Amino acid sequence: MEQDIQCSRSSEGKAVLLERCEEQFELLQKLQNEIILADTEAYDDQSNEAVNRLIAITSELERWHEMEPKLLTNSPEVLLAVGKEELQRLNSQLKMVLSCSQAKLDAQKKILKREQTWQAEKKEALNAVCEKITRLQRENQKSEHSILQDMKRKINNLKDYHGSLMEMLSDMLAEHFPLPDPQGNSTKKKRAAAYDAEIDLISLSEIIERLTNKTLETPHDPYVTTDDTFWPPYTEMLLRNGIATRCPEDCNKIRLEMFF
Amino acid sequence: MALLTPYSKVPELNTATVLLVENEEELQSKLANALVQYEKDFNVNVRLARKLPLPVENKETRPRIDLIVFLVNLLSERSLQSVESSLAHLHSDCFLGKVCFLVTDARCGSHTQERLVSVRKLAAAHQCPVLCAEHRTVDGVNAAAVRLLNILKVSAGMSPIATTALYLSSLTRCSVTSDLEED
Repeated sequence: MEQDIQCSRSSEGKAVLLERCEEQFELLQKLQNEIILADTEAYDDQSNEAVNRLIAITSELERWHEMEPKLLTNSPEVLLAVGKEELQRLNSQLKMVLSCSQAKLDAQKKILKREQTWQAEKKEALNAVCEKITRLQRENQKSEHSILQDMKRKINNLKDYHGSLMEMLSDMLAEHFPLPDPQGNSTKKKRAAAYDAEIDLISLSEIIERLTNKTLETPHDPYVTTDDTFWPPYTEMLLRNGIATRCPEDCNKIRLEMFF
Repeated sequence: MALLTPYSKVPELNTATVLLVENEEELQSKLANALVQYEKDFNVNVRLARKLPLPVENKETRPRIDLIVFLVNLLSERSLQSVESSLAHLHSDCFLGKVCFLVTDARCGSHTQERLVSVRKLAAAHQCPVLCAEHRTVDGVNAAAVRLLNILKVSAGMSPIATTALYLSSLTRCSVTSDLEED
């Protein structure tokens, strides 16, 4: 009984649907005839494709504005069947859309991460370059107006060093190369020593000083005449060690050896 | 002039007709078989041609064509040229959603890249979609068939109410930007 009712209902629904189909087909035929008539009259202007498109889209838009949504039929089981089918199709399509958009999202996230690391690297490089630029600029500025101070500092340092060297030299010379002692030995050489003591002997440092001053002040005539104030062992020592050389013409003249 | 017009005939019930135009005739038959096998909800009528204009003798018996697909093989120069000459035989109303370009062998060398660019420019000028397909494997042919069926459904009016052929073509039309030339 129930199945009979259902069968009759479904056949009713089918009949209703078929009726609607017939109506639509008649409408279609009518429209088609109108189109054929219009086609034979109108001239096809192929050069205005964009205009054609615009006209078609605007007329379609107007139709959509005018159209109101209406139910297919009023019979519930038709609506139910149609609705079920539609919803299932929609469900599967939305699932596809979801998976597709998620895949796109993942890809975009990867791209974003990659771009961010790239950006961080470039930022680091930029920072390093900026620091170097500021450092170089500062150095440039410094060299312009403190070059004098640098020079003064260097000169002072060198003077100090020179002074200390001279001091050390004189100390060493005084310690290791003293003047011969006039009251030295009470031997027969006393007379020679006394004879020597009459003459003022100059110290080794004095000899070296005289030699260097002569060389530096008068480089064209660096010879110093050795007289009796020069104690002979010391002059011999200087000559033998290559610190001074004898003048080729005059055997009494010595000069400081060129060692630069 | 015998132009192929889109709306000059009444459509048949529950049927969609697609016209495959290809100069070489290699992919046509495979694609036709795949198209017919795949669709179960409605009848798919596939007609094959080498180029337009279609022979005048069949004009009366030919059903209304819902979608015209130009198959371009990028490995041969003549394919593209025959497509360009066939385009002249189409009524300009056809370009409002009833024409589609399908290219094959788009990855096989440098000449194909240039031809792909020119196909895309052509499609962009007429605002039609371009599909790329791989025709040597069965899977490739099936995938191309599925995509074509989606477009066919819309152009034949079988998809839900809000989607019209014009709308779909506006969404899927090929666009050529200036940096395409640098690719």
